[in-house]
Amino acid sequence: MFIGPDDHERPNPFYTMDEHESPDLTEDEKRLFADLMPEDLNEILDTGVNRRHFLKLMTLAGGGILAAQSAVAEQLIARPLSETIPTELVPASIENGVNVSLKVNGTARKLAVDSRMTLLDTLRERLDLTGSKKGCDHGQCGACTVIVNGHRVLSCLTLAASCEGKTVQTIEGLAQGSQLHPMQESFLKHDGFQCGFCTPGQICSAVALLDEAKKGHASYVTENVRQSAGPAKLSNEEIRERMSGNICRCGAYPNIVAAIQEVHSGKPVEQVFRSV
Amino acid sequence: MRPFTYTRAKDATSASKLLTGNPNAKFLAGGTNLLDLMKEDVERPSTLIDISELGLSDIKTISSGTNKGGISIGGLGKNTDAANHPLIRQNYPLLTQAILAGASGQIRNMATNGGNLLQRTRCPYFYEVAMPCNKREPGTGCGAKEGINRMHAIFGWSEKCVAVYPSDMAIALAALDAVVNVRNASGQERSISMADFHRLPGDQPEKDTILTHGELITSIELPRNNFADKSYYVKVRDRASYAFALVSVAAALETSGNKIVQARIAMGGVAHKPWRALKAEQLLVGKEATEANFKLAASAEMADAKPLEHNAFKVELGNRSIVLALQMAMNGGKA
Amino acid sequence: MKEKDKVVGTPISRIDGIAKVTGKAPYSMDHPVKNPAYAILFKSTIAAGTIQDINTAAAEKAPGVLAVITHKNVLKLNVKGGLRGGALLQSPEVDFFGQNIGIVVAETFEQARYASRLVSVTYDKKEPKVNFDKVADQARLPKDKEKADAERGDAKAALSQATIKVEEVYETPIEHHHPLEPHAAIAEWDGDKVTLYSSAQIVNGAQSAAAATLNLKPEQVRIVSPYIGGGFGSKGGQWANLALTAVAAKQVNRPVKLALTRQQMVNSVGMRQHNRQKISLAATADGKLTALAHEIVTHCAINDEFVEPCGDCSKIMYETPNSLITYRVVPMNLILPTYTRGPGKSTGSFALESAMDELAYKLKMDPIELRIKNEPERDPSNGKPWSSRTTVQCLREGAKAFGWDKRKPEPRQNSQGNYWIGYGVSAGTYPAHQRPTSALVKLKRTGDNVTATVELAAADLGTGTYTILTQTAADALGLSIQQINMKIGDSDLPPAAGAVGSVGAASYANAVNDACQKITDELVAKSGKQFFARPTAAQLMRSEKLTEYQTRVDSKAPESAEEYSAHSFNANFAEVAVNKSTGMIRVNRFLAVTGAGQILNPKTARSQIIGGNVWGIGMALTEESVVDPRWGNFVTRSFADYHVPSNLDIGNLDAIFINEKDEHVNSLGVKGIGEVGIVAVAAAVANAVFNATGKRVRDLPITPDKVL
Repeated sequence: MFIGPDDHERPNPFYTMDEHESPDLTEDEKRLFADLMPEDLNEILDTGVNRRHFLKLMTLAGGGILAAQSAVAEQLIARPLSETIPTELVPASIENGVNVSLKVNGTARKLAVDSRMTLLDTLRERLDLTGSKKGCDHGQCGACTVIVNGHRVLSCLTLAASCEGKTVQTIEGLAQGSQLHPMQESFLKHDGFQCGFCTPGQICSAVALLDEAKKGHASYVTENVRQSAGPAKLSNEEIRERMSGNICRCGAYPNIVAAIQEVHSGKPVEQVFRSV
Repeated sequence: MRPFTYTRAKDATSASKLLTGNPNAKFLAGGTNLLDLMKEDVERPSTLIDISELGLSDIKTISSGTNKGGISIGGLGKNTDAANHPLIRQNYPLLTQAILAGASGQIRNMATNGGNLLQRTRCPYFYEVAMPCNKREPGTGCGAKEGINRMHAIFGWSEKCVAVYPSDMAIALAALDAVVNVRNASGQERSISMADFHRLPGDQPEKDTILTHGELITSIELPRNNFADKSYYVKVRDRASYAFALVSVAAALETSGNKIVQARIAMGGVAHKPWRALKAEQLLVGKEATEANFKLAASAEMADAKPLEHNAFKVELGNRSIVLALQMAMNGGKA
Repeated sequence: MKEKDKVVGTPISRIDGIAKVTGKAPYSMDHPVKNPAYAILFKSTIAAGTIQDINTAAAEKAPGVLAVITHKNVLKLNVKGGLRGGALLQSPEVDFFGQNIGIVVAETFEQARYASRLVSVTYDKKEPKVNFDKVADQARLPKDKEKADAERGDAKAALSQATIKVEEVYETPIEHHHPLEPHAAIAEWDGDKVTLYSSAQIVNGAQSAAAATLNLKPEQVRIVSPYIGGGFGSKGGQWANLALTAVAAKQVNRPVKLALTRQQMVNSVGMRQHNRQKISLAATADGKLTALAHEIVTHCAINDEFVEPCGDCSKIMYETPNSLITYRVVPMNLILPTYTRGPGKSTGSFALESAMDELAYKLKMDPIELRIKNEPERDPSNGKPWSSRTTVQCLREGAKAFGWDKRKPEPRQNSQGNYWIGYGVSAGTYPAHQRPTSALVKLKRTGDNVTATVELAAADLGTGTYTILTQTAADALGLSIQQINMKIGDSDLPPAAGAVGSVGAASYANAVNDACQKITDELVAKSGKQFFARPTAAQLMRSEKLTEYQTRVDSKAPESAEEYSAHSFNANFAEVAVNKSTGMIRVNRFLAVTGAGQILNPKTARSQIIGGNVWGIGMALTEESVVDPRWGNFVTRSFADYHVPSNLDIGNLDAIFINEKDEHVNSLGVKGIGEVGIVAVAAAVANAVFNATGKRVRDLPITPDKVL
């Protein structure tokens, strides 16, 4: 039997880099990058990396490499909370346009949408937030789960038009700058995914679920729903039921439950890798 | 999804007026069923009137009237809030259980109590526009009656429609003798008992309820009762969670010693509406709460079932589920 | 490198994990392109016939519509180009319900979806063949020579003389892969070249099939597929949507995004076929098999054949002097079936391993002992020695770990409250192969820091490819994983095998290892020095003061591998609880013990096995695609109707790997685990249901109504 280490290795971030875009790093970014990885700067600039990828790179580098450099990095990575991004360009053929102002991951956004446009398609096609996924588009898989006004909801069954004045948090908004949200860390550690397509929805669902537990919400498997509310300590069975709106076709359920239980209980859930 | 105009309603009356003026307008509340059906091209509204921000979400004790001492649940409140409200958890745990048996956490956060009552059937022939369906398109025939009907009705179906009503929440509401309060564009209100709210398909399966166009569900009232100690919701489905019922049973008992004073049983997954098992209820009143009596009551109720080609199992399953729900109710939810 | 520094075999977290948990991993529809148009397919509403007329006028006039493409105006495509399932809009013929008959392209997704509803079609209908029960007796011998009747001895004669036998028919329904990412592509043309951002388990296969279909040369098509939202076989061979996206983009002269809807998945990208399997076993009183016959009847598309190999486990699992395996197939007006997780073995093992359980019960033998009693010394189908075989170990170790001794041999003996508890066991196998794969290693040194970029057109569909290859390269080059840049999922990279049929890990890891060994050899030679101990490539880059060096290898299985029969093996143990009142079944505990050679990463390997187990539990209990026997449409066309297991369906799953070193299968001794994880799982669950309730359910899935 082999008990695995509580590993926190950080992978080389470069593997996700696309190399077919033109370089357009700002001077500040070049400087920051030089500070962080001087040896690689030239390679990166030579092979071509634009700001978008730089930022992606920075976020991917995660807690390890950037922690010490947070001051500059934060400036570059986090958008100021109060900033309002100007009204988006209106696609020529919006029908029955509705103006919507909403806050997405801390940033105020104003845009005109086709009345038929869902929040999911708005995030993905208009706001470049492709983390939320379209697995079924009919509220039957949970891959599009986002947190609206603090509650987990399905963005595929939410009209963007109905989001006036609302606060939306997506998977892209969970990490604090380069620091992963504990739920993200825990999914990583417990391998709470395989293909990763359902993962943004799973994680958003899990984050909101813990708030529901704090409020003492009951579930279908709660033995006695009459027992007075108070922060609920969730058994694995409770987590399973409460996560059942998020389908994982790869079958990572036991790992997902372990990941959530670790964050919920605040105690490490042992990982056991057995061989004989 | 057809193009439609989107309007945010300012108050309930103006919302109803907007709707009344346009036969193709629909209210949008949680949207969990409506948008699903619009994407399937089953629902084709030309206008959506968003009523989700109108309030009408309070849960409170009723202070006067016939249901004094009961509870009023706002029509536009969310399912999650209804299920978790202390007044409901304490006094109507059957309703909490039933709501939590339905859908998923995300959907319950979106779905409203009024909208839950207005869920349309999940019949696959209703959902696919290439198929015949009298409910979706009157006169085209029923695809399910001679087709794949494992999930369909065993009570109260007609030649025109064998669909079942999918809500869990409404099954508990039916058992608890709830009353649905609605208001129309002229501000007139009426109260409809759960027994009357949903229809059997008959010759007009396109009509799920007796609501008229423009009526808005403002609240649902639960009369005071003595069922809180002995109630249970059984849901049998093809997977453990996030699936519609094959059969469900909401059972509530009031007992004196081991003698049944009052009984309420409603079934889901068996008919075009929540199916009150009145025969079974009547047989139970005044009897000892024993397994033998539960079985007698259940089989009396299920004797009237008329199964279709693929759902004969629902008769036996209904029998067993009624007995199980009653036993669980007697044991305070413990098997 | 010192052993303790090696990362191969350690449970590191996924290299691609951070990208996945932050939502930054780009799947097919996530790649940014400028000014995309949106396309949606529309489909036939009959199962057989000819399109008489297709009226697109209203759709064309709808706001935002850029093009409506049907068989009348589509580019001429090569229907034999290698895409599966036809449906390329090349003729008005309709062969199955939900066949693609056109595409709407519009400025927005909303506009395309709406306009697709405005197309009206009239048909000349034919009577469709859509009811398997009605046409099963027309089944004929498959064209595929692998599916010819395979007979050793005389099974029928042995069966007719036997006194102890089991002869039963087992049915597995149509299933759909339903990866959570629906099949989708973005097509972007640049002159006469097209880039397809898509999801491909076989990157080079997608490239060649798309190119041939589009009448292009392979180098004119680039497949970019760095992340795949699940595939399970449905993204192995590619389907019409890939080429049609390129066609649409060509037509509107803009990048086009086209994703299948979930409802369209049921008749666009294959399925697992319905198998009717008769198993006949004969045995001596002490449990020696004297005959094993496995006769399979299934269906394929009306004009194309695919038959999953349900008889494979029966060929090699047990020693018997008389063996018969036959396949018969009937063409139907349904979409072409295709490879689905554990193709053939997962469904075939349900029949075989259920029958073995029935036989054990008849013989009053422990089902583990019955299996061990019939353990073959060599591969019974070809007489070759095993490269290694772990069935007995898997069964024995599993029994110990699971607490098999607590099982009561008679059903309905284990009651807990309102539940019957039952235990079930099964054994399974899946072949191990290494397929030709090339890999390029590029070393770079800056100061003392050496980094490597490793490139190959491999695929990672959640299988852990990025991670295990990074580990392999790190060890082989003497670098840390942080110094490896792993690039896969792009047809511009050196060609690689597919992540299919459990060949991915063996093919890729051996190729990467071979490339790393080769680059080390070359650097040693280049140095002109002799070393006491083999230096690492990293050391050589530093000692030889090289700044850049690269090499490429074309790797394939050792020829000696052919001399052996190489397979992964498993044993599955299930504990179920069956509600006495409702018949609802829960798998409380499941243990899979697997012998799959060298395990490159215990964490991702365990996930693979557990994932396969969840698939098997779904097969056993919840999954079924139902065809309307009149019209040929799937009535289970959404996730509300087709039940993949939810989180609450899955109890405690556990995985154990057998420590084994297979010297023969390939140079790293890697066998593959993606498929074997599902094999025989459904049988273990069904056997446990029998042990719990006394009900032997021979037609899956075991829904509550079947155990009442």
